[in-house]
Amino acid sequence: MQVLLLLAIFVIATCGLIYELVAGTLASYLLGDSVTQFSTIIGVYLFSMGVGSFLSKYFNKHLFRWFIVIELMVGFIGGFSAPVLFLMFPLASSFRVVLYAFVFLTGVLVGLEIPLLMRILKDKLEFKDLVSKVFTFDYIGALLASLLFPLLLIPYLGLIRTSLFFGILNILVGLLLTFKFEKEIRCSASLKFTAIVLLLAELFAFAFGDTIMNYSETMTFNDNVIYATSSPYQRIVITRSKREMRLFLNGNLQFSTADEYRYHEALVHPGLAALSNPKHILVLGGGDGLAVREILKYPSVESVTLVDLDKKMTGMFSTNYLLIEVNQQSLTNAKVKVINADAFSWLKENKQQYDFIVIDFPDPSNFSIGKLYSNTFYKLIWEHLAANGLTVIQSTSPFVAPKSFWCINATIESAGFFTTPYHNMVPSFGEWGYILAAKYNGYKVPTVYPTGLKYINQAVAQQMLLFPDDMKVKDTVPVNKLNNQALVDFFEKEWNAYLQQ
Amino acid sequence: MKRRKFIKNVSVLAAGGSLMGSCATSSKKIPGKIIGASSAVGHLMRDGKLNSKPVSETMTVKVAVIGSGVSGLSAARQLLKNKVEDFVLLELEPHAGGNAHSGSNDISAYPWGAHYVPLPNNDLKEYLSFLEEAGVITSYNGQGLPVYNEYHLCFAPEERLFINGLWQHGLIPNFGVGEDEQQQIKRFLLLMDEFRNKKGNDGRDAFSIPVNNSSQDEVFLLLDKMSMKEWLQQNGFTSPHLHWYCNYACRDDFGTRYDECSAWAGIHYFAGRKGKAANADSGDVITWPEGNGFLVKHLMKEIGSKIKTNSLVTGIKQDNNKVEIVYWDVAESLLKKVVADFCIISTPMFITQRLLNYDKAKSDKVHNTFHYCPWMVANITVKELEEKRGEDLCWDNVLYESESLGYVEATHQLVNQLTPRKNLTYYLPLTKTDPVTERKKAIEMKHEDWVKIILDDLKKVHTNIETAVEKINVMIWGHAMIQPRTNYISGTIRKELSHSGFSNIELAHTDIAGISIFEEAFYQGINAADSVIKKLAS
Repeated sequence: MQVLLLLAIFVIATCGLIYELVAGTLASYLLGDSVTQFSTIIGVYLFSMGVGSFLSKYFNKHLFRWFIVIELMVGFIGGFSAPVLFLMFPLASSFRVVLYAFVFLTGVLVGLEIPLLMRILKDKLEFKDLVSKVFTFDYIGALLASLLFPLLLIPYLGLIRTSLFFGILNILVGLLLTFKFEKEIRCSASLKFTAIVLLLAELFAFAFGDTIMNYSETMTFNDNVIYATSSPYQRIVITRSKREMRLFLNGNLQFSTADEYRYHEALVHPGLAALSNPKHILVLGGGDGLAVREILKYPSVESVTLVDLDKKMTGMFSTNYLLIEVNQQSLTNAKVKVINADAFSWLKENKQQYDFIVIDFPDPSNFSIGKLYSNTFYKLIWEHLAANGLTVIQSTSPFVAPKSFWCINATIESAGFFTTPYHNMVPSFGEWGYILAAKYNGYKVPTVYPTGLKYINQAVAQQMLLFPDDMKVKDTVPVNKLNNQALVDFFEKEWNAYLQQ
Repeated sequence: MKRRKFIKNVSVLAAGGSLMGSCATSSKKIPGKIIGASSAVGHLMRDGKLNSKPVSETMTVKVAVIGSGVSGLSAARQLLKNKVEDFVLLELEPHAGGNAHSGSNDISAYPWGAHYVPLPNNDLKEYLSFLEEAGVITSYNGQGLPVYNEYHLCFAPEERLFINGLWQHGLIPNFGVGEDEQQQIKRFLLLMDEFRNKKGNDGRDAFSIPVNNSSQDEVFLLLDKMSMKEWLQQNGFTSPHLHWYCNYACRDDFGTRYDECSAWAGIHYFAGRKGKAANADSGDVITWPEGNGFLVKHLMKEIGSKIKTNSLVTGIKQDNNKVEIVYWDVAESLLKKVVADFCIISTPMFITQRLLNYDKAKSDKVHNTFHYCPWMVANITVKELEEKRGEDLCWDNVLYESESLGYVEATHQLVNQLTPRKNLTYYLPLTKTDPVTERKKAIEMKHEDWVKIILDDLKKVHTNIETAVEKINVMIWGHAMIQPRTNYISGTIRKELSHSGFSNIELAHTDIAGISIFEEAFYQGINAADSVIKKLAS
């Protein structure tokens, strides 16, 4: 009996500390400022253990049964602490209350255990032996926990599985004790049943640890997630608050309904309004149909071809009632043809020419997207652009990433184009850049625009052409080629430096 | 942003945990097979079982070319360019291309052997014009430098090396390499640069392509008398990382360990290439998803119909100024004959000596001088791979101190945004012991043995390789390429055996060029064809 109970102490001590470490780490991940998180959590934990010890004097009967019940409760509450906290984070407005409640509860329960155990064993051991043994195992357990946690558990199990794993251990110890001391406990059958149910629940959660993790990850957005799905190419998440709806691709904000018109009007109208009688339009990327919505404001347009890689994306924006409200059903318009294909390959295989080409790709954050910003790609665009046509390229932020912006400009020029760089303010993104390109020199800001625009007019379009010094670069920037991918390097360095501030 | 990334990392760790749990699946059988160069058919000739059968039909042509590797194809192309249209090409395999053979699946084409060419030296007129024909060179700039097709220049990022737990950019060891070693590597590269620009007392480049155009100045030929390893030691290079790199280079280009490879050849790897381009740096390479299979396709363009595949030549006889070639039609199981005015033999020397029935003295010379390294090449189809820290997936991916040369990623040269499945071509020159032993061992190995070797190697860099792999096909090249061991290039036997001894039989192969590279094969073919054309005209 002694040995088993001491083993129980050992497990409880280990588990107790592990739960606190899990809580501390999780709070550091989610809330930042690890010093504050760890010190407050450890403080609350130790204090609540004191509370538990204090409360122990109110337990006078059935000590052994209580001991096991508490063991199971620690296993249940501690074990589920990480998954529950992860899931709660985006939902609970006062996450900290939940967090400290968890810490407090486990602390109280662990605090109860040692006094109870000492009282159970008090007739079986001499007092000095009892104290020495109980605390020895308690502290050894603590040391083991503090070593296991960073070296083995976090690297191999991750946070969620670590907490579940120790919950399972707790419950197993409880179960073992129930079986061993069946005769000494009242109603051992109900205890056994509870223990087995809890054990199964934790094992189940353990097996689906990844799913929980992924689910909680999509919920680390500021607003409520109203839609989340994965395509073979990306993770698509839509969030909504009272003020706005936002689209995230792989966690990167694509637009917010609060100010996307600033971006899409600036992308489309300075170019398209400058053309007389534009008929055939090509949009590369832009599967949200928002650029197409702007294009359809021109009655002369006969056809819009949209080439976007992701079928799921264009499908969503053709059918989802919330989304087609935003793009005004542009993708299902009779003039619009949606093609789900790789833009580069599609351009290589097709020969049609267009009056206006909108290039709205994600930022060049990796080598594979970098190809779509290469001189080779722009040479291909040249072949598809009518002699008097215009093309516009979204070109990241000239404020955050001036070298990247001017590298794109130099690359477009190297393909033979005359370029007109411009920029505007889109609050969700910051200062954003675009480059208009033509086969002729002498682009002029258009004087007439479609009615009903909220942002662009002649004066605004004119001032977008001005670049203050903080958006310029002093040195010449290289051309981005398939065999140097210079742009991706610039982009990575500039954005990393900016985000680290 | 940072926070989300943090959490993502934790979830990767969690996923890693689940992987550990599912390790039991690692013993699953990986689909695929061993695709051999037709050694079984080839051995029919060695065993002499076919000579007793009757000849079923005879064909008469002006020129017969035997072997349709790059040398043979280049010879045929040169004949056609010079209006010699009455010729035939006999090939043992079911396809042309030799070492530049390629394959394809639903993901992309991929190489089975040679997979790139460096920027060509600018004095190789015929070669440059061939590349122009193939669309590899699109034009020339104002300074007369070739402008290369940007789809064919290797896309960035080109190469990475896994060393000290990280993928570093480029193949020259750098990450975690000490200051003294870095200095040595720097000095070594500077020396190679000097060699690149050096000329001999005969006014020729010290290291040139084709090899036979190189200077015959004794100062440089002396380098052929020692191994690359000895040369490094003699020149005070002690850096283990530099030694590894040189060994890698010799095994990569010549299938020869650096303690066996001639220092002349080893240095040629660095100093022989001097190509300049309008739109690429001198170190850049030209490549395609199918590797040099792309060039083979263009060499074959107009001669495709002249190639008789599955044709095993069993003997060549000289008769009344004609050449009689008997071959076994593998598909029809019939012995057939070609009677030609001239013959170009573009097979490796261990075949050639048998076809020409060399006497004992001569064939002993072949055996003692011509050594061929066996290679294992595998094409691996994979789903998304887990990556280690550092540089992203490159075209060429090498593991420091691995027995293999790493792998080349075939979809790298596609413009497509995303290729969730990929073809990796894995190269393993079997250089541990001598070629004969290695060849025997390789032939006995089973598919699962190769799979184990490959996965154990790649596990170091892609922890999920066992679950990500869909298929592994393996090709064993018993005699992959000639080894430029010491005294081979500068020695007399190579020169002596580069002629057949008959006025109407020309030899064309990289064996007699000295090193197995595309340009050598290309010019071997052109030179042999030119001398036939000259004789035809007279």
